[in-house]
Amino acid sequence: MKYSYYPGCSLHTTAKEFDISTQVVMRELGIELEELKDWSCCGGSVAAGVSHDVGMAMAARNVALAQKQNLDLLASCSGCYNKSARALKALENKTEKERITAIMSEMGISVSDYNIRVRNVVDVLVNDVDIASRVKKPLTGLKVACYYGCLLTRPADITGWDSPVFPTSMDRLAEICGAEVVDFRSKTKCCGGPILVSKPDVAFDLTKKLLDEAKSLGADCIVLACPLCDTNLELRQSDIEKKYSVSYNLPVLYITEIIGLALGMKPGKLGMNKHIVSPKPVLAKLGL
Amino acid sequence: MAVKPKKCFFGLKVDRQLDGDKMNSDFLNKVLAEGGDGAAIAACMQCGTCSGGCTNIDLMDMSPRTLVLMVQRGEWEKVLKSNALWMCSSCYICTSRCPRGVRPSDVIEAVKAIAIREGIENDSTRFNQIFVELVQKRGILFEPELMQKYGGISAMIEQAELGVKLALRGKMSPFPAKVKDPKTFSEALEKAKQP
Repeated sequence: MKYSYYPGCSLHTTAKEFDISTQVVMRELGIELEELKDWSCCGGSVAAGVSHDVGMAMAARNVALAQKQNLDLLASCSGCYNKSARALKALENKTEKERITAIMSEMGISVSDYNIRVRNVVDVLVNDVDIASRVKKPLTGLKVACYYGCLLTRPADITGWDSPVFPTSMDRLAEICGAEVVDFRSKTKCCGGPILVSKPDVAFDLTKKLLDEAKSLGADCIVLACPLCDTNLELRQSDIEKKYSVSYNLPVLYITEIIGLALGMKPGKLGMNKHIVSPKPVLAKLGL
Repeated sequence: MAVKPKKCFFGLKVDRQLDGDKMNSDFLNKVLAEGGDGAAIAACMQCGTCSGGCTNIDLMDMSPRTLVLMVQRGEWEKVLKSNALWMCSSCYICTSRCPRGVRPSDVIEAVKAIAIREGIENDSTRFNQIFVELVQKRGILFEPELMQKYGGISAMIEQAELGVKLALRGKMSPFPAKVKDPKTFSEALEKAKQP
């Protein structure tokens, strides 16, 4: 299996450990990744709210490039995945396709009819590969709260591989890895990612509720697959602690990192030394 | 003619009424033209499922349900000055739950773009515009520049501690990344922005 791998802006900066762990885990599982040549930002949840055409063009550009590479597009970031999948779906609509193709031709990129698929890392890990038989170091005793957020599973006509109401893909992956999964009721609630900068108080409040629940369930860490959710839950965790005078010290890990650990990889090889909230308590519990 | 408040049965609010004579398709067509093409706005039956699931409804002065009705009625001044547009965190709960395929999040997204073009200004419009401008410039977002342009020096100072932590872990480069041909990329998008 080979994919054109679309890391996106975050995976080259604030979510480097997601990039590193995705690449090593995929290689270990026999999935070949070829970086999408000359990829650009997908525009996130913001761009289409400034101009629909600009937002769609930003996302469609990567889809068109993957078509050129003749490979299915694989995105790690939930945002990049969602926006690329949305653009792919928009290309099925005649008017949308005309509008997008016009902008693409201005960029000198042709949109072919070759229909690729847009996949997410979690989707591939849960549906395409057998992880269970390769687990070398089960994460026995580790309690994790799997957090899906919004863009990984919603809206279902764009994503479609897991339930938008009660997703279980990451829970199943964590269980396969030997971890204990807590019943995290807020797993599909929004962390306020897209409005973090313009409405920080609102985003902090939403994120605090998530941290509160994960903590009260006794989770050792939150497991997720979205760099924007990670920005709120991990990078801004200390700001939330300060604002509400609370203490969490709750590590936030990417799903690929815990799979990597279960496959017997060293934390350093997975980029786990790059976290802002130290994952040491998690590693200590696993005897690493 | 001014709308006379009507007394309704079962406590049904006036703003829930889908009377045909109050409909005005001007705004609706504008929203559809912006990009709400897939949104079945006219199919809304005002059930309120969108509002029921909405992440930030407590903070909105107009619920997603009312917003869709106001779009149907063409009361665009009310819609454009509503804070609902900027409180929406694009979580897509409304869109996944809507039983009529209205896609309220796509409606809100299109209205946001219209609001910016109509000259509405606030922190959110400023942030969104700077974000797009910077992505358009190089094809790849350079976050320090986004923070500096949006929040100025005070934001840079506030974020300095996190910035240093990120830089020490090799998660923040002082040099922005870019696509191979930023000029063509940028020009094509600039052209697309023009109405």
